[in-house]
This record gives sequence, C-alpha cells and structure tokens, in this order.
Amino acid sequence: MTGTTTWLTCGVLEAELSELLRRGEIRGDLLVLDSKLHMVPPHLEKVLSSALERRPQGKGGRVVLVYGDCCPRMLDIARTFHVGRVDATNCAQLLLGKDRYRELMREEAFFLLPEWAARWKEIFHIELGLGREVARDLMRDNRGSLVYLDTGLVPIPRSTLDDCAEYTGLPLKVEAVGLDRLQGCLLEAETAAETVEGGYLS
Amino acid sequence: MDVPDCIGKLIKAMMEVDRAGASVLMDHALAEGMSPELFMSDVLDPALLAVGKSWGEQKVSLAQAFVGAKIAEDVLLRCLPKGEVPPTALRKGIVVIGNIEDDFHSLGRRMIIPFLQASNWEVHDLGNDVTAETFVDKALQVGASIVAASAMMQTTALNIRKLRDLIDGRGLARRLKLAVGGAVFNWRPELVAEVGGDGTAGNAGAVDALLSRLLFQAGEGKSP
Repeated sequence: MTGTTTWLTCGVLEAELSELLRRGEIRGDLLVLDSKLHMVPPHLEKVLSSALERRPQGKGGRVVLVYGDCCPRMLDIARTFHVGRVDATNCAQLLLGKDRYRELMREEAFFLLPEWAARWKEIFHIELGLGREVARDLMRDNRGSLVYLDTGLVPIPRSTLDDCAEYTGLPLKVEAVGLDRLQGCLLEAETAAETVEGGYLS
Repeated sequence: MDVPDCIGKLIKAMMEVDRAGASVLMDHALAEGMSPELFMSDVLDPALLAVGKSWGEQKVSLAQAFVGAKIAEDVLLRCLPKGEVPPTALRKGIVVIGNIEDDFHSLGRRMIIPFLQASNWEVHDLGNDVTAETFVDKALQVGASIVAASAMMQTTALNIRKLRDLIDGRGLARRLKLAVGGAVFNWRPELVAEVGGDGTAGNAGAVDALLSRLLFQAGEGKSP
C-alpha cells in the first residue's frame, strides 16, 4: 500500500485508534473530531465536509472515515470526496460486529463506549435536557439494558456506570469487545479505499 | 374549567415536561363533568397539534416531545382501555407501523403511536428490524391500507426500497400506500422519492394528515 492513510475519526474511538497505531496494527495519521458532534447530525456533516475540503492536496495517500451512518449524507460524503469509510452503521457495531450488535439491539441495549461513559451526565442533562424522572421513563420505555463496551484500554468505570444505570433505571451489563473487530474493519476500509476511483488524494 | 383554558394548561404541562400536572388537569376536567371523549377530541387533539407544530419547527426538545407523547398515552389509557381499538364508526383507517430491517431507533415510532391512536387510527406496531415481507403480510392480514416504515439513518432508509419493490411486485401499489418517516427524511426530503415512499410527515402532529391523504389515495376514507 502506497502513501499515508489519514484516519478521520470520531473522538469516541480516539483512544482505540491511537492504541492500534501504537501497536503498529494500523499505520497513518489520526484526525479527530469531537464526539459531541453526533448530537447534531447536520452540524457533524458540515464539520466533516469542511475537514475533508481543508485537507491539503498533493500530499498523496488516502482518507478513511471512521464513522458510522452518523449524519444524513454520510454515504454521499464518502462518495463525493472519494474516501473510504468503515462498513458499520455506528461505533457500537464497529466494535461488536454485525451479528452480536443485532443480538444486543434485539434485547434493546443502550450502548456506552468508554469515552461517552465519562460524559453521560453532560449528554443526558445538558444536551438532551433529560431530568432523572423523564430519563427513566424514556429509557425504560425504549431500552432494556445499559451495555458498556469494554475495549480493555481503561479500567471499567464501575462507579460512573452505576450512577448512569441508577439515573436511567436500566440494568447494567459489561461486554468485553477488545479491538480485534475494529482493527479488521479499519484494515478492510483502508484496502477498499485503494480501489475507490480517485481514492488517492494527489 | 372551560375547554380553551384546559387546552392552554395541557400545552403548558407538555412544554414544561409535567406529566403529573397533566394527569391532575385531566382529573379536574373529568371531575367537573367533562366526558373522556370530549377531553380527547376537544382538549388532547388541539394540544397535540400545537405541540406537534412546535416539534416540526424544532422548538421542542426531546424531553418535551417524549413527555407530550406520554401524556397523550396517559389520556388514551384513561379514555380507551389498553388494547381496545377505536369503534369502527370512529376509526379512520388501519395502519401497520414498524422500523425497517436493520433499524433499531424506535423512539420516533413509539412517540407517534399515541398521536395516531388519539386520532382514531387502528395501529399495528411490528417493532424494530422489520423485513419487507413481514410488513406486507401483516398489512394484508389486518386489512391495512397503509404501511408506515421508520428509519433513522441513510443506510437503513435505503432498506425501505425493498418494501416498495415488494408492494409493487405483488401488485398492491394502488391499495397499499407506503408512508416513510424518521430523522433522515426530515434532513433530506429527497430520500422519500429515492426509497419509493408515497409521503412523509415531518412531525407527529402532521402524521394524521399524511395518513388521511394516503388513505384517500388508496380508495378509502374521505377527501382530506
């Protein structure tokens, strides 16, 4: 594979991609955007497009979007800018694989990744305006359990997760996911990016 | 308490995320002699319409929209025992609703169901991750004229195309209409045509009008 790969990623997976780079499992540069952009998908779309437009031309190499289907035109963005993208609808599916993701979603799981787990209060209170009572009603109506995806890079934040489980009224489960599936998806997307017409930024 | 006063207070309860307050309001209205049917038609309906309009204008938070739907559900449960369908004379039509294959974002779908039931639609909810075949088979089984498929994202919205193809392939296009909805259709309306939808509604308050129009196109119901 020639040239450098730029992994344009959501901050929710920054630690995991950094670790894969450190281990030499993937190669290239990270370009990280704030995971909170996920809360306003049209805004994410603008920021993502802008990041791709701003990327210096003439450097060579390829870009891989490490994003699920997180904004209304994600597939179009990948096509328009001739970049690769991981084959997953969201970050949970990227870590779990499609089959396990579907199994857990059929059990109405609500996923927390390590980066979001640390910010759950900010997301629930400030971003969504959900007080405890409404949060409990909403989550219990729509979800069956809180599932923390443990990528193994940081200790499981038990106290934080217990607080979140208490606030939402959902039982907590921890699912060890590691980084293998993520790594596989990244490498597949990188290979596919080679074959995208005009996939190289020249 | 007169009807306009009651409507104003119910809208206030919805906007202030005050489910308990809405329940107290209904208690008072019924204690003062208002019938449950009148509360549904003359108080709940206009309040939902107002909140739905604000929702469409993006002036309503997730919490407000959710509590608005829960209040509607509470009112329905008191006026219409759970599981009971609207009397045939009042029923506007039958709709089968669900999230399309691979889509698990149920919140929007669940929130519009009370709005539809309050507007006298018989609703059959199939849940999440519903295949095209299941949608069509259920519609034929219950005699529905409309299937309503929800999707949150572009990739899952494209699965609705399978439903369109199946409806057309079985020669049902004239009598079985396809309503589509979900956040991605609000953000990019051109996707409605791309997946073969017969129409969409930008918010819960507009769903009743959409379904009424589709019902008429299917050869049932009144001209909307």
